[in-house]
Amino acid sequence: MIGNDIVDLALARKESNWQRNRFLDKIFTKNEQQMILNDANPEIMVWNLWSRKEAAYKIYNRETGIRGFFPLQLECFYENGTLGTVSIRGKTYFTQSKIENDSIYTIAVVEKEYFKKIKSINPAVKILKKNGIPFTIDCNSKIEKPVSITNHGRFWEGITLLD
Amino acid sequence: MNKEQTIEELKNIVKPYIQNQEAFDGLTEDTDFINDLKINSANLVDVILDIEEKYDIVIDNEAMERMVNVKAAMEIIENKLSEKNS
Ligand SMILES: CC(C)(COP(=O)(O)OP(=O)(O)OC[C@H]1O[C@@H](n2cnc3c(N)ncnc32)[C@H](O)[C@@H]1OP(=O)(O)O)[C@@H](O)C(=O)NCCC(=O)NCCS
Repeated sequence: MIGNDIVDLALARKESNWQRNRFLDKIFTKNEQQMILNDANPEIMVWNLWSRKEAAYKIYNRETGIRGFFPLQLECFYENGTLGTVSIRGKTYFTQSKIENDSIYTIAVVEKEYFKKIKSINPAVKILKKNGIPFTIDCNSKIEKPVSITNHGRFWEGITLLD
Repeated sequence: MNKEQTIEELKNIVKPYIQNQEAFDGLTEDTDFINDLKINSANLVDVILDIEEKYDIVIDNEAMERMVNVKAAMEIIENKLSEKNS
Protein backbone atom coordinates (compact mmCIF):
# COMPACT_ATOMS: atom_id res chain seq x y z
CA MET A 1 0.00 0.00 0.00
CA ILE A 2 1.23 3.44 -0.91
CA GLY A 3 0.18 7.05 -0.84
CA ASN A 4 1.69 10.25 -2.11
CA ASP A 5 1.00 13.96 -1.93
CA ILE A 6 2.58 17.01 -3.48
CA VAL A 7 2.27 20.68 -2.52
CA ASP A 8 3.19 23.45 -4.93
CA LEU A 9 4.42 26.04 -2.46
CA ALA A 10 3.73 28.97 -4.78
CA LEU A 11 0.12 27.86 -5.23
CA ALA A 12 -0.28 27.05 -1.53
CA ARG A 13 0.77 30.62 -0.75
CA LYS A 14 -1.96 31.86 -3.07
CA GLU A 15 -4.71 29.43 -2.08
CA SER A 16 -4.20 29.19 1.66
CA ASN A 17 -3.42 31.47 4.52
CA TRP A 18 -2.06 29.13 7.17
CA GLN A 19 -1.80 32.06 9.58
CA ARG A 20 -5.55 32.47 9.49
CA ASN A 21 -7.10 32.36 12.93
CA ARG A 22 -7.70 28.73 14.07
CA PHE A 23 -6.45 27.26 10.78
CA LEU A 24 -3.65 25.35 12.50
CA ASP A 25 -5.97 24.22 15.32
CA LYS A 26 -8.17 22.39 12.84
CA ILE A 27 -5.34 20.43 11.25
CA PHE A 28 -2.46 20.04 13.65
CA THR A 29 -2.15 18.56 17.14
CA LYS A 30 -0.63 20.63 19.93
CA ASN A 31 2.73 18.89 19.39
CA GLU A 32 2.68 19.54 15.68
CA GLN A 33 1.78 23.18 16.23
CA GLN A 34 4.72 23.52 18.61
CA MET A 35 6.99 22.12 15.94
CA ILE A 36 5.61 24.54 13.37
CA LEU A 37 5.87 27.62 15.54
CA ASN A 38 9.38 26.76 16.76
CA ASP A 39 10.68 26.12 13.28
CA ALA A 40 12.90 28.63 11.51
CA ASN A 41 10.55 28.33 8.56
CA PRO A 42 7.03 27.67 9.82
CA GLU A 43 5.47 27.78 6.37
CA ILE A 44 7.61 24.90 5.10
CA MET A 45 6.84 22.92 8.23
CA VAL A 46 3.09 23.45 7.75
CA TRP A 47 3.14 22.02 4.24
CA ASN A 48 5.67 19.34 5.09
CA LEU A 49 3.45 17.94 7.84
CA TRP A 50 0.33 18.45 5.76
CA SER A 51 1.70 16.47 2.81
CA ARG A 52 2.63 13.65 5.22
CA LYS A 53 -0.91 13.54 6.57
CA GLU A 54 -2.41 13.51 3.10
CA ALA A 55 -0.09 10.78 1.83
CA ALA A 56 -0.84 8.66 4.92
CA TYR A 57 -4.56 9.35 4.56
CA LYS A 58 -4.46 7.86 1.07
CA ILE A 59 -3.13 4.55 2.44
CA TYR A 60 -5.61 4.58 5.31
CA ASN A 61 -8.46 5.31 2.92
CA ARG A 62 -7.46 2.42 0.65
CA GLU A 63 -6.95 0.00 3.55
CA THR A 64 -10.16 0.75 5.40
CA GLY A 65 -12.48 2.27 2.82
CA ILE A 66 -13.08 5.06 5.32
CA ARG A 67 -13.45 8.49 3.83
CA GLY A 68 -13.61 11.65 5.89
CA PHE A 69 -11.82 14.74 7.00
CA PHE A 70 -9.87 13.97 10.18
CA PRO A 71 -6.47 15.66 9.96
CA LEU A 72 -6.04 15.78 13.76
CA GLN A 73 -6.24 12.01 13.97
CA LEU A 74 -3.37 11.60 11.55
CA GLU A 75 -0.54 12.33 13.91
CA CYS A 76 2.94 13.01 12.59
CA PHE A 77 6.04 11.78 14.32
CA TYR A 78 8.76 13.96 12.86
CA GLU A 79 12.15 12.30 12.75
CA ASN A 80 13.68 14.94 10.49
CA GLY A 81 12.80 17.02 7.43
CA THR A 82 12.83 13.89 5.29
CA LEU A 83 11.71 10.98 7.46
CA GLY A 84 8.92 10.28 9.87
CA THR A 85 5.77 8.31 10.56
CA VAL A 86 2.08 9.11 10.64
CA SER A 87 -0.18 7.22 13.02
CA ILE A 88 -3.93 6.88 12.92
CA ARG A 89 -6.22 4.69 15.02
CA GLY A 90 -3.52 2.15 15.81
CA LYS A 91 -1.93 2.08 12.37
CA THR A 92 1.45 3.59 11.59
CA TYR A 93 2.73 4.52 8.15
CA PHE A 94 6.26 5.55 7.16
CA THR A 95 6.84 8.76 5.26
CA GLN A 96 9.63 10.16 3.17
CA SER A 97 9.46 13.81 2.14
CA LYS A 98 11.45 15.87 -0.29
CA ILE A 99 11.61 19.64 -0.47
CA GLU A 100 12.77 20.92 -3.84
CA ASN A 101 11.92 23.33 -6.65
CA ASP A 102 9.37 25.16 -4.56
CA SER A 103 7.49 21.96 -3.80
CA ILE A 104 7.11 19.46 -0.98
CA TYR A 105 6.53 15.86 -1.95
CA THR A 106 5.77 13.00 0.44
CA ILE A 107 5.53 9.28 -0.17
CA ALA A 108 3.92 7.09 2.49
CA VAL A 109 4.31 3.30 2.76
CA VAL A 110 3.18 0.56 5.11
CA GLU A 111 6.62 -1.01 5.59
CA LYS A 112 9.92 0.86 5.51
CA GLU A 113 11.40 -1.62 3.02
CA TYR A 114 8.88 -0.49 0.44
CA PHE A 115 10.62 2.84 -0.02
CA LYS A 116 13.18 0.94 -2.14
CA LYS A 117 10.43 -0.46 -4.33
CA ILE A 118 8.70 2.75 -5.32
CA LYS A 119 8.48 3.34 -9.03
CA SER A 120 7.14 6.43 -10.77
CA ILE A 121 4.39 5.78 -13.25
CA ASN A 122 4.18 7.30 -16.68
CA PRO A 123 1.67 10.18 -16.68
CA ALA A 124 0.31 8.87 -19.98
CA VAL A 125 -0.71 5.50 -18.55
CA LYS A 126 -4.42 4.88 -18.19
CA ILE A 127 -5.55 5.24 -14.59
CA LEU A 128 -8.77 3.61 -13.46
CA LYS A 129 -10.62 4.23 -10.22
CA LYS A 130 -12.71 2.25 -7.77
CA ASN A 131 -14.50 4.39 -5.21
CA GLY A 132 -12.18 7.18 -6.25
CA ILE A 133 -9.10 5.08 -5.47
CA PRO A 134 -6.75 4.76 -8.44
CA PHE A 135 -5.16 1.66 -9.99
CA THR A 136 -3.70 0.58 -13.31
CA ILE A 137 -3.95 -2.66 -15.23
CA ASP A 138 -0.74 -4.30 -16.41
CA CYS A 139 -1.08 -4.76 -20.15
CA ASN A 140 0.64 -8.14 -20.18
CA SER A 141 -0.55 -9.87 -17.05
CA LYS A 142 -3.87 -7.97 -16.80
CA ILE A 143 -3.24 -7.74 -13.07
CA GLU A 144 -4.52 -4.67 -11.20
CA LYS A 145 -1.82 -2.58 -9.59
CA PRO A 146 -2.55 -0.02 -6.89
CA VAL A 147 -1.16 3.40 -7.72
CA SER A 148 -1.21 6.72 -5.93
CA ILE A 149 -1.45 9.99 -7.77
CA THR A 150 -1.23 13.59 -6.70
CA ASN A 151 -1.19 16.93 -8.40
CA HIS A 152 -1.03 20.52 -7.28
CA GLY A 153 -0.23 23.56 -9.37
CA ARG A 154 2.79 22.87 -11.55
CA PHE A 155 3.38 19.34 -10.31
CA TRP A 156 2.10 15.83 -10.93
CA GLU A 157 3.43 12.60 -9.41
CA GLY A 158 2.23 9.04 -9.74
CA ILE A 159 3.76 6.00 -8.08
CA THR A 160 3.37 2.27 -7.78
CA LEU A 161 5.20 -0.55 -5.97
CA LEU A 162 7.50 -2.90 -7.83
CA ASP A 163 6.70 -6.58 -7.27
CA MET B 1 -34.09 28.57 8.57
CA ASN B 2 -35.20 26.68 5.46
CA LYS B 3 -33.22 24.34 3.28
CA GLU B 4 -33.07 26.51 0.17
CA GLN B 5 -31.75 29.41 2.16
CA THR B 6 -29.04 27.26 3.79
CA ILE B 7 -27.99 25.87 0.39
CA GLU B 8 -27.73 29.39 -1.02
CA GLU B 9 -25.64 30.53 1.92
CA LEU B 10 -23.44 27.47 1.64
CA LYS B 11 -22.93 28.16 -2.05
CA ASN B 12 -21.67 31.62 -1.25
CA ILE B 13 -19.26 30.19 1.29
CA VAL B 14 -17.72 27.54 -0.97
CA LYS B 15 -17.63 29.69 -4.09
CA PRO B 16 -14.11 31.10 -3.64
CA TYR B 17 -12.64 27.60 -3.33
CA ILE B 18 -14.33 25.61 -6.07
CA GLN B 19 -12.45 24.37 -9.12
CA ASN B 20 -15.34 22.95 -11.08
CA GLN B 21 -17.83 25.59 -12.15
CA GLU B 22 -20.25 23.14 -13.75
CA ALA B 23 -20.64 21.10 -10.57
CA PHE B 24 -21.04 24.35 -8.66
CA ASP B 25 -23.79 25.61 -10.95
CA GLY B 26 -25.65 22.34 -10.55
CA LEU B 27 -25.01 22.04 -6.83
CA THR B 28 -27.39 19.80 -4.87
CA GLU B 29 -27.39 18.16 -1.45
CA ASP B 30 -25.48 15.25 -2.92
CA THR B 31 -22.61 17.37 -4.22
CA ASP B 32 -19.27 16.29 -2.79
CA PHE B 33 -16.88 19.12 -1.88
CA ILE B 34 -13.76 17.28 -2.98
CA ASN B 35 -14.84 14.87 -5.72
CA ASP B 36 -17.36 17.16 -7.42
CA LEU B 37 -16.44 20.76 -6.62
CA LYS B 38 -12.72 19.83 -6.59
CA ILE B 39 -12.08 21.91 -3.52
CA ASN B 40 -8.59 21.03 -2.37
CA SER B 41 -8.42 19.52 1.06
CA ALA B 42 -6.49 22.42 2.62
CA ASN B 43 -9.26 24.74 1.47
CA LEU B 44 -11.80 22.47 3.14
CA VAL B 45 -10.42 23.92 6.36
CA ASP B 46 -11.27 27.40 5.07
CA VAL B 47 -14.81 26.28 4.26
CA ILE B 48 -15.15 24.97 7.81
CA LEU B 49 -13.76 28.18 9.33
CA ASP B 50 -16.00 30.31 7.11
CA ILE B 51 -19.05 28.35 8.24
CA GLU B 52 -18.04 28.75 11.88
CA GLU B 53 -17.67 32.48 11.43
CA LYS B 54 -20.85 33.00 9.44
CA TYR B 55 -23.10 31.13 11.88
CA ASP B 56 -21.10 31.74 15.03
CA ILE B 57 -20.89 28.02 15.78
CA VAL B 58 -18.05 25.64 16.61
CA ILE B 59 -17.58 22.63 14.36
CA ASP B 60 -15.99 19.99 16.55
CA ASN B 61 -13.70 17.29 15.21
CA GLU B 62 -16.43 14.73 15.06
CA ALA B 63 -18.56 16.98 12.85
CA MET B 64 -15.56 18.02 10.78
CA GLU B 65 -14.86 14.39 9.98
CA ARG B 66 -18.18 14.11 8.13
CA MET B 67 -17.92 17.47 6.40
CA VAL B 68 -17.25 16.15 2.90
CA ASN B 69 -20.48 17.01 1.12
CA VAL B 70 -23.28 19.58 1.01
CA LYS B 71 -25.74 17.35 2.83
CA ALA B 72 -23.43 16.75 5.79
CA ALA B 73 -22.55 20.43 5.97
CA MET B 74 -26.23 21.40 6.10
CA GLU B 75 -27.00 18.88 8.83
CA ILE B 76 -24.07 20.07 10.87
CA ILE B 77 -25.07 23.71 10.53
CA GLU B 78 -28.65 22.92 11.56
CA ASN B 79 -27.57 20.82 14.55
CA LYS B 80 -25.09 23.34 15.83
CA LEU B 81 -27.54 26.19 15.40
CA SER B 82 -30.26 24.40 17.33
CA GLU B 83 -27.78 23.48 20.10
CA LYS B 84 -26.82 27.11 20.31
CA ASN B 85 -30.39 28.33 20.52
CA SER B 86 -31.64 25.74 22.98
C1 LIG C 1 -7.53 11.89 -1.23
C2 LIG C 1 -7.49 13.39 -0.97
C3 LIG C 1 -7.02 13.62 0.43
C4 LIG C 1 -6.53 14.07 -1.96
O1 LIG C 1 -6.84 15.38 -2.18
P1 LIG C 1 -5.84 16.52 -2.70
O2 LIG C 1 -4.61 16.58 -1.90
O3 LIG C 1 -6.70 17.73 -2.72
O4 LIG C 1 -5.46 16.09 -4.19
P2 LIG C 1 -4.27 15.18 -4.79
O5 LIG C 1 -4.00 15.68 -6.14
O6 LIG C 1 -3.12 15.03 -3.89
O7 LIG C 1 -4.94 13.76 -4.90
C5 LIG C 1 -6.01 13.55 -5.74
C6 LIG C 1 -5.90 12.21 -6.40
O8 LIG C 1 -5.74 11.21 -5.41
C7 LIG C 1 -6.43 10.07 -5.81
N1 LIG C 1 -6.80 9.30 -4.63
C8 LIG C 1 -7.96 9.37 -3.93
N2 LIG C 1 -7.94 8.47 -2.93
C9 LIG C 1 -6.75 7.85 -3.01
C10 LIG C 1 -6.16 6.82 -2.25
N3 LIG C 1 -6.79 6.27 -1.20
N4 LIG C 1 -4.94 6.38 -2.58
C11 LIG C 1 -4.29 6.93 -3.63
N5 LIG C 1 -4.77 7.91 -4.40
C12 LIG C 1 -6.01 8.37 -4.09
C13 LIG C 1 -7.64 10.59 -6.54
O9 LIG C 1 -8.03 9.66 -7.49
C14 LIG C 1 -7.18 11.88 -7.17
O10 LIG C 1 -6.88 11.67 -8.51
P3 LIG C 1 -7.15 12.80 -9.64
O11 LIG C 1 -6.04 13.78 -9.48
O12 LIG C 1 -7.10 12.03 -10.91
O13 LIG C 1 -8.50 13.37 -9.33
C15 LIG C 1 -8.92 13.95 -1.20
O14 LIG C 1 -9.29 13.67 -2.48
C16 LIG C 1 -9.98 13.43 -0.25
O15 LIG C 1 -10.73 12.53 -0.52
N6 LIG C 1 -10.08 14.05 0.93
C17 LIG C 1 -11.06 13.76 1.95
C18 LIG C 1 -10.44 13.68 3.26
C19 LIG C 1 -9.27 14.57 3.47
O16 LIG C 1 -9.13 15.62 2.90
N7 LIG C 1 -8.38 14.17 4.31
C20 LIG C 1 -7.21 14.95 4.57
C21 LIG C 1 -6.46 14.34 5.61
S1 LIG C 1 -7.52 14.07 6.99
